[in-house]
Amino acid sequence: MSTAEPRDRGDLVFAGAKAERVVPAVFFLSAATLANEIVLIRLLSFRFWPHFVPLIVSQAMLGFGVAGVALQIVRRRVERSPGRLFAWMVLLAAPAFDLAFRASQFVSFDPFLLLWDPVAWPRFGVFFFLLAVPFFLSGCAMAIPFAFLRFRPGPVYAASFAGSAAGALVALPFLMLAPTGWLLRLPLALGAVACAFVLSDKGGGLRKGRAAALCAVLFLLVIPPADLKLSPYKDLAAVRNLPGAREIASRFGISGDYRAVFAPGVHSAPGLSIRFAGEIPPQATLFADGEQRGIVPKDGGRTPPAYLGYFPAVLPYRLFEHPRVLQLGLRGTEGVLTAAANGASSVTIVEPAQELVRLVREDLSEFSGGWPGSLPVEIREEGARNFLARDRRIFDVIEAADISSATFSSLGVHATGETFLLTREGIRAALARLGEGGLLAFSGWLKAPPRENVKILRTIRAELSAARLVPAADRVAAIHGWGTFSVVARRTPFHPAEIDRVRRFCSDYGYSMVWPAAGAEAGGGAEERALREAVSDAMTGPPGERETELFDLSPVTDDSPYFHRFLRLRTLPEFKRLLGSQWIPFVEWGIVFLVLSLGVSLVLAAMLLLLPAAFVRDGTGEAATISVAGYFSALGLAYMLVELTFLKAGILILGDTIRAAGLAIGGFSFFSGIGSAVSGRWESERAMKRVFAGIAVCVVAGFVILSAAASPLLARGWAMRTAAFVATLAPAAFLMGIPFPAAISRLAAVGGSAIPFAWAVNGFFSVAGASLASIGALWLGFRWTVVIGAVLYVMAGLLFPRVGREIRS
Amino acid sequence: MSFLRLVTIAAAVLSAALHAALATDEPYLQKRAAMVRDQIEREGVTDPRVLAAMRDVPRHLFVSPSFRAKAYEPYPLPIGEGQTISQPYIVGFMTQILRLKETDRVLEVGTGSGYQAAVAAKLAAEVYSVEILESLAVRSRRTLSDLGFRNVVVRQGDGYYGWEEKAPFDAIIVTCAGGHIPPPLLRQLGNGGRMIMPVGGPFMTQNLVFIEKDARGSITHRNVLPVAFVRLLGH
Repeated sequence: MSTAEPRDRGDLVFAGAKAERVVPAVFFLSAATLANEIVLIRLLSFRFWPHFVPLIVSQAMLGFGVAGVALQIVRRRVERSPGRLFAWMVLLAAPAFDLAFRASQFVSFDPFLLLWDPVAWPRFGVFFFLLAVPFFLSGCAMAIPFAFLRFRPGPVYAASFAGSAAGALVALPFLMLAPTGWLLRLPLALGAVACAFVLSDKGGGLRKGRAAALCAVLFLLVIPPADLKLSPYKDLAAVRNLPGAREIASRFGISGDYRAVFAPGVHSAPGLSIRFAGEIPPQATLFADGEQRGIVPKDGGRTPPAYLGYFPAVLPYRLFEHPRVLQLGLRGTEGVLTAAANGASSVTIVEPAQELVRLVREDLSEFSGGWPGSLPVEIREEGARNFLARDRRIFDVIEAADISSATFSSLGVHATGETFLLTREGIRAALARLGEGGLLAFSGWLKAPPRENVKILRTIRAELSAARLVPAADRVAAIHGWGTFSVVARRTPFHPAEIDRVRRFCSDYGYSMVWPAAGAEAGGGAEERALREAVSDAMTGPPGERETELFDLSPVTDDSPYFHRFLRLRTLPEFKRLLGSQWIPFVEWGIVFLVLSLGVSLVLAAMLLLLPAAFVRDGTGEAATISVAGYFSALGLAYMLVELTFLKAGILILGDTIRAAGLAIGGFSFFSGIGSAVSGRWESERAMKRVFAGIAVCVVAGFVILSAAASPLLARGWAMRTAAFVATLAPAAFLMGIPFPAAISRLAAVGGSAIPFAWAVNGFFSVAGASLASIGALWLGFRWTVVIGAVLYVMAGLLFPRVGREIRS
Repeated sequence: MSFLRLVTIAAAVLSAALHAALATDEPYLQKRAAMVRDQIEREGVTDPRVLAAMRDVPRHLFVSPSFRAKAYEPYPLPIGEGQTISQPYIVGFMTQILRLKETDRVLEVGTGSGYQAAVAAKLAAEVYSVEILESLAVRSRRTLSDLGFRNVVVRQGDGYYGWEEKAPFDAIIVTCAGGHIPPPLLRQLGNGGRMIMPVGGPFMTQNLVFIEKDARGSITHRNVLPVAFVRLLGH
């Protein structure tokens, strides 16, 4: 890389102006970039499904990585006027936050079609690429100062990290202020501020072209945003299509976008008994990020509809008269109306989404008729695990309804969503809140082969056994209807008279009793027999994983809280063999998409990062390349594994994904930024040995402390939980900010030609790391994923002394 | 030109046109035959009337031109509005289990592309089909009419309520998944009637539930097959 001074006029580069202009521009652009990441999580969750956290992080990493490679390819041109290029990269990045998303909406891509339609794959690639463009432009802008303007990496990197932290902190409250369609205004506005610092040349004169570019950005700020195009397979899109459909209320916030739509064609009553011969009243459907979240029967508060007594989920009310009810999750008004129609004496609902609570309680009160007047109803706006840890009250019925749905999956459609309520620790906490004879009740969709119902039975059994409440089989009853199941459990055994009541309930309403087996009817088809065998095995068979089972039905813990992950990789070939061409619908969509997005991102990364970087390597020996590649790949992978695992673990403590994402990504960015700013003090090999050792220790210790403190923290207020979460990641994050700029400094000292290659490799493995962190959490658990990250840092530490040394020699 | 020459030329032109038409349909004929043999008969659908009907009905004309090449593949295909045409095996299975007779009056809920209605129309006397989405109702009505299916009537409306004026029905087929069996449909099912419907949640496997109403009006039901269906809109 040339060391000559840039020659052109109109450049930012002169000593006094550099820090004043460049560093704040980097700061605000970084803030815009991270805000864009968080906003994209919400937007893509709304357009499609909320699997997109690792995908968006991958896109960001791809964009940054390609930036480094591109700068290397055109470095001679860049060297002529790096200041001008820096200015234009900032000016182009700002509008790209908005324009890239608009453009992506024109790509006819739907993740649902990936398994059916081969054409969906290149479309996915284009979609992925378009959303990476703003990150590419930002990456260019952030790399130029220390790669070409000869800034020390530390301060620029520090500005970048600090800006990222600021972007995360600003994005969270912005989610409460702006409707979903307007969210991209935030990165656009922050980008516009960055643009203001690059409008003038080294003489201080305003450059008209740049000013015009800023005006274009400001124009984008004031025009209406693009309409969000929902996937046609989203619940909201389907209901909007119904004749007469109209949106009657909406709210938005950190936890999601909530809407209520009334359509005459909606008749929701999952599992309704065949004995019901009446009418289902008009209903409004509630949506969270476009997915169905609950139902509000019209005027239900004035006259509870009769159909609400005809579900398998009503079973606990047949076993306990006038119960004090706790419902985990707000399902519109149906939950309360069901409790009222079946004699509950009080209902407490726990729901963390404030916006949803207000939507139901206030905005829809006229449509719904409010709560039934005679029934005391309380809504607690907090997470279920927080409530169970903090509130010492006892309940007679604790309901977790519709466990197959998005309600119990913070990331939405099933397999990749964290479900901390359905872990062993969650079940334990719920059992502890039951009164004498109190019932814990679960209901959901019944699948073939059975999954959720068997898995929840095994989890209940494991917890009852751990509490020495044995035999667990005497404390559980399970029934099913058309397509739904209901499971009830309690600490004391059921009496024969109570089992008779269950049997009569099934007989009266056309359901089937599955457990206790003695009370169940004989006969039924192959599927019924398979269900009974699975339930019987869950209640009386040997505990532990079954090697021969097609699905993973073992209880989950807080370390890997993926209740809806049923796929077992080692039985996948058998799965496909048994189902033949019919296997696709039975595969868990979330995991499939995660693996597919990893594949597409790696293909793009290889094409755009590794291939060009391999061709433009110059003057560096093979050994140097291997050391650089090994070092920076370990860093890229390890950083993602650690950061995203802390994010996922933080969902339990902080209560929801967006808060966890904001604080984890923002926290890591902030403290790593500080580490980068002071990295110059520790660039000696001896000091760096201590840094890498410190990273490994702090990562593992921080995670262990976070896990151990989770239970006591759950009972604390939000401020304490936030402070504790940030405190556990801060030491590791600080130290993790040092290795990258320290190595870049070493490469810069020997000419810097390997910097873009280092950047490319780091970017590639960061892309991979984002998805691999999720895959690791799903199959290995949080603990092992973090340990792998720590080991990778140790390996990077062993390679550090070789970075730059071979080039020098 | 003499009259005879004119007739000869016209016959030649018609013959060529017919040959061209048949030649155009030829690859689809073969695919259709292969579909019936490999995806339907081999998978346990053995009713000769059902197999003949599925050999007859040009499935590829019920999907958009861009998907025609895949029309005989063993999976569903998008037909717009977030809806799909069911895979061939499911159509065959559902049709067979209903044991349609030549005198039967059939209700279909969820016309979609119209393909299932066309297959049922080959076996029964009358098919009444309800589609809630107007665009699909218009398109399927046109397709069925163009193909000469005179015993199928398509109406745009909420299939949840069936078709009261034409009830009772000897058979009811619901082609999209719902969370429960709509009570109006049970009422409109005649004594001795059969009904098939996928029941379950969206984006997961559902169960095909087969319902029979005996001569006295008593209803029995059983799960017959796990499937994956597009959801019944509004359900």
